[in-house]
Amino acid sequence: MSAHLASAKEIADQLNEVPPSSAVSLEMSVDNYLDVIRGVLDLFANKKEMDTIYVTATISSEQIRRVLEALEIDTSNIYFVDCISHIMMGASTAQQDEHTTLVESPTMLENLMLKVEYLIRRSQSKEKLVVLDSINALAIHNNNWILSEFLHILVSGLRSREAYAIIFSVEEHSTPDISNMVNLVCDHGIKAGKQGGG
Amino acid sequence: MEGLDTILYGGIPRSNTILLTGSCGTGKTSLALEFLIHGAVKGENSLFISVTENSEKLLSNIIPYKFFDKSLIKSGRLVFVDLPIMYERLGMTKAELSMEEVDLLVAAITSLAEELGTKRIVIDSITSVCYKLKTSEKIRDFILKLGKSLSDLNCTSILVGEVPAESTSYSSFGVEEAIADGIILMANMERRGDLLRTLQVIKMRGTMHSRAKYVLDLTPMGVLLVPLLKGGSTG
Repeated sequence: MSAHLASAKEIADQLNEVPPSSAVSLEMSVDNYLDVIRGVLDLFANKKEMDTIYVTATISSEQIRRVLEALEIDTSNIYFVDCISHIMMGASTAQQDEHTTLVESPTMLENLMLKVEYLIRRSQSKEKLVVLDSINALAIHNNNWILSEFLHILVSGLRSREAYAIIFSVEEHSTPDISNMVNLVCDHGIKAGKQGGG
Repeated sequence: MEGLDTILYGGIPRSNTILLTGSCGTGKTSLALEFLIHGAVKGENSLFISVTENSEKLLSNIIPYKFFDKSLIKSGRLVFVDLPIMYERLGMTKAELSMEEVDLLVAAITSLAEELGTKRIVIDSITSVCYKLKTSEKIRDFILKLGKSLSDLNCTSILVGEVPAESTSYSSFGVEEAIADGIILMANMERRGDLLRTLQVIKMRGTMHSRAKYVLDLTPMGVLLVPLLKGGSTG
């Protein structure tokens, strides 16, 4: 099947139409992860000079940082909540600094929310963005009941703080249950994968 | 204390005596200190009476709160007192205090609070004081008299209690919980191998309050709370 994968600019354009306090479901293909990253972090968040809290449960923050450097994306306003490095490498090896907070395990969803809350309170920027990468990775470690409850509380909290929430999902790994769960809490959807065609 | 104030629908009622209880490592001392620092920042004179740990050591391990300034201590807005020094000055050298000495101790703490114009006080821990009182009668007498005299000074008190991790009681002697106006329980909860720090308000006279269990994080911005997720809870 030949499909048009949304470009970084197309993704950023769609996000620019969304008001603050919105929750956006962003479904992508594994093939356009880099375009999604550039569209969300560079063309959308950095352009608006907003702080981004990037929750990673898929790959380590270190790996994402390397990707961002390769793409020449400014990371000075990006703060990572890394749920995977500790469990994989242990706290002593995993990097923890001003821009990186570790959560011991992706099953500690309350702690994940607490770290996001802390970073939001610490942020000085007027607008804030929270990216959850990805719901599929969290679904590996958590059952749908707790994940659904987590999403509801997280997104409600972010709305009250007028922050943007973007929830990544990977179409190749998604199930109808996960899609329903995300759609229930999001008020906008961007299909950036092969199925969506931008 | 935004998170705690929210679940208490406004905060701890003025002049109440609260038992802040839990097992070791649950964050009781940090939360009690934060209560005092917020008070001191607001201009309320605050007093920390340390029973087990030396104040200097306590201060060296304090969370680097964004809202904490050492000038609060220099100005006398926030005062630390070691109870063992008070015992010594009052000549209370025996392992067990007599009924008269209980009265003397209450009078000494009240007089110190009055002299300092204290509006917030923490005793950490009341359990350690109780070990010197031994009997339920003396413990009851001590807490009732102290609570009343501090309340008369319009002072809000937090008594830090220690209980074993597996305890089903809120206090070591079973008396403290019955006398306090409010009970805040802090605990470590294990869920599928993860250890979560939790907080729950068991009772709070004079205010409506949430009875749900919350997970907490002690951060430089103060204590943060989120509801415990029920989906995976076994407790």
